[in-house]
Amino acid sequence: MEPFRDNNELVAELRTLRPEPRPEFAADLDERAAAGFPRRPARALAPLSGLLARLRALPPRRLALSAGAVALATVVVATVVVANGGSQTELTHSMGVLRPSERPSSLSSSKPPQSHRGSAKESSGTQYEAGAPVVGASSATSASGTGASSEAETGPFAAKAGHRDVERSAEMVLGADPDEVAGDAAKVFDAVHAVNGIVLSSSVTGGAAGDAGARFDLLIPAAKLGDALADFSAIDTVVSRHEATDDITAPTVRVGEHLRDSRAKVDGLLVQLAGADSDEERAEVEAELRAERRHAAALRSQATKLDRRANLSRISLRIETGAGATSPNEDGSWGAGDALDDAGHILGIAAGVTIIGLAILAPLALIALLIWLAHRTCLRRARERALA
Amino acid sequence: MDPLGRRSSGVNETLVATTEDAPREADLAFDRLYRSSRDDLYAYVATLVRDPAAAEEVTAAAFERAYRKRSRFDRRRGEPRAWLFGIARNAALDELRRRGRQAELAAEPADLISAPAHESAEASERRLALTAALATLDARERELIALKFFAGLTNAEIAAVVDVSESNAGTKLHRAVTKLREACDGAL
Repeated sequence: MEPFRDNNELVAELRTLRPEPRPEFAADLDERAAAGFPRRPARALAPLSGLLARLRALPPRRLALSAGAVALATVVVATVVVANGGSQTELTHSMGVLRPSERPSSLSSSKPPQSHRGSAKESSGTQYEAGAPVVGASSATSASGTGASSEAETGPFAAKAGHRDVERSAEMVLGADPDEVAGDAAKVFDAVHAVNGIVLSSSVTGGAAGDAGARFDLLIPAAKLGDALADFSAIDTVVSRHEATDDITAPTVRVGEHLRDSRAKVDGLLVQLAGADSDEERAEVEAELRAERRHAAALRSQATKLDRRANLSRISLRIETGAGATSPNEDGSWGAGDALDDAGHILGIAAGVTIIGLAILAPLALIALLIWLAHRTCLRRARERALA
Repeated sequence: MDPLGRRSSGVNETLVATTEDAPREADLAFDRLYRSSRDDLYAYVATLVRDPAAAEEVTAAAFERAYRKRSRFDRRRGEPRAWLFGIARNAALDELRRRGRQAELAAEPADLISAPAHESAEASERRLALTAALATLDARERELIALKFFAGLTNAEIAAVVDVSESNAGTKLHRAVTKLREACDGAL
């Protein structure tokens, strides 16, 4: 038998060995192709596999668009959640200064705030900057004579005091137009008199915006501090407000004890004086008695000052005019500047959320990419081994 | 009057079809690819998996996968036939892995390559010799033979399918043919 004359003859013979599909299979495949290759029931995919198969079938551009839309929606939702849940007060910051009608309820109450847990010597405050209340971690205050908690007695000072003596003070800045300063100052006097307070000093200056203004140093009965602040808030626009408390229980208790000791000593000296036998002894006791009485007087003075601090709250009130003293929108409405502030704030939150999301997702994506690459390499090798 | 002179004359009916009804370009291209590659793909897959029933299954699965991915095909990354045969190759190799068997032309079933009834004894003998020679090649060489002479792929397409350079594919193919001829000459 003749061998192949050349490669062409070999190839021609080789082509006759080509496997051909059965006509039935070819017809069935044509039918399925015409129908768009419907999925066969025998190879029904699990829901997750089906989803993955659909994702794989998506064009890259559409897949990228879908992923981008999902990521954007996630960022928006996270931003809304963070903005609403995390810093409600901050979001309202630029919504205008606190109007008289927006006084915090805690300040409009005529009752003095109750004492709170904490050390005996502490200072805390409630601030209202640009109208938005920013309440400190321990903002509750206590007036003298109110109930004391047992935990308050565990502090290093006056631990066994039956009540807390708390000095309260406040600073408030009102914003006004220059022509309203005089009227507002009169209202301040009226409000102080209404609560039986004392005007320690006052200064009212007229003039243009920025120059005009007023300043008051006031003493208000501690029990009526809330009412007074509420009245002041109603006079004009509140630019800022700050309340502070200072627990003076320890010095009050200490002075009281010293005063009792001093009085007892005076009584003892008086008894000793009555029983003195000689002029020399009497003179000695009288000298000691004078000294002790001076000491007792000093202690009484201290006690009076402490009592005054506990019962009268000092308020520093200023009425300012000019830029920054009033809201950009005089009517308190929300304007373009506020919109820009809020937009910047929201964009900042969105950027933060995005950065945090990327910080979380980037390592996961890297790990997933490495796993996918390793799987692909292993699969390719396994396929090559299957062919070998 | 149509200033460009492009308007058809004698049109008395207008057929309107929505864009959804019109076949997309990707569908049309895939249809062309299917019609031009159906038998070639089957021949290649049958050579790989060595089982007509499995070859049908894998061929259908390959077309199905390709159809699902048709919109992701990027012509700039290669020819459509190379892309289709790459999918079929993966499907066939996965089938071989599942079965734990290797593609061996030595065990080629009789019904896969059957001799025509009118063939002469000499032609039949040459065919058998060629089949036996084909069995002496290793699986990768047989794959190249199948891609080139059963499926009709160009060297560039073969290179893309088996993931080697075009010159490397040509060299390997030449060696496989030479080896095949030597094996045939030895048998005859």
